[in-house]
Amino acid sequence: MRVAQGDAAAIRAMIARKLPRLLSLAHRMLGDASEAEDVAQEAFVRIWKQAPVWRSGKARFDTWLHRVALNLCYDRLRRRRETPTAEPPDHADPTAAPDRRLEAAGVAARVASALQGLPDRQREAIVLCHYQELSNIEASAVMGVSVEALESLLARGRRALRAALADLADI
Amino acid sequence: MTRERFEGLAEAYGGDVTRWPAAERDSAALLMASDSAHAQAVLARAGALDAALNAFAAPLVAPALRDRVLATAPGPRVARWPWLSPAALAAGLAAACAAGLVVGIVVSEGSSAGSNGGAEQVAASTLSLDPTFDLEGA
Repeated sequence: MRVAQGDAAAIRAMIARKLPRLLSLAHRMLGDASEAEDVAQEAFVRIWKQAPVWRSGKARFDTWLHRVALNLCYDRLRRRRETPTAEPPDHADPTAAPDRRLEAAGVAARVASALQGLPDRQREAIVLCHYQELSNIEASAVMGVSVEALESLLARGRRALRAALADLADI
Repeated sequence: MTRERFEGLAEAYGGDVTRWPAAERDSAALLMASDSAHAQAVLARAGALDAALNAFAAPLVAPALRDRVLATAPGPRVARWPWLSPAALAAGLAAACAAGLVVGIVVSEGSSAGSNGGAEQVAASTLSLDPTFDLEGA
């Protein structure tokens, strides 16, 4: 792997491809931009460590990387539950002025809060399939469950989200 | 595909059929053709939730984060035993062969023609030794 040999072009290409996806995954899982950045950075440290021994194909690398990032997210969620703070995640204020941009930010904040309210595995399933756009086979491999179990998690998660966001138009 | 299965897929994967499991898309398309109104209503409902979820957009990567990640990346690999690299070994082998050849010439000339001072001097000068020293030693 050229990354393991310190090839600058390969390293930059890896960062360009994977950093946005890792950041996106962690942000949706944690609902916190700063923690998401930390998780993405930590995930890259794991990539660099793993690079010298990596021999498998792209699909298995992505599966491994998603699992690494999710485990880092769960570490943080666990710590958060053990030491609860009064400070909420950095969502926009949903009661902000009815400017169109603020309105969109308000919806985003509502969705972020609703996602945080889901059981972990339901949120994980929705993040992997809806936001990361993994196929059902890929997502079930990352989660270590059958496709049927994944579908059940997705359906229950989406039903809960619909209920939480029921006051938004047409949901 | 039954209505129930169609509804179940929309509930799990959302209102965009292209994101449903590949193996079920053809059956879904057939149902959409034969039961269009119901299928469209199911997809519209699921699509509304998709749209709301999409409002929670992915964050942009800050340049500072990219720099921090880059700073943790491995540097160019430096050989731990540089003299064991293939190029160094090849050069060493070539030098050893050349030295062996020259020494071989000196030894063979010295033993077969001890009185040939001129040859000794040429061989010694090839080795960059003092010919006087060689001659004294002989």
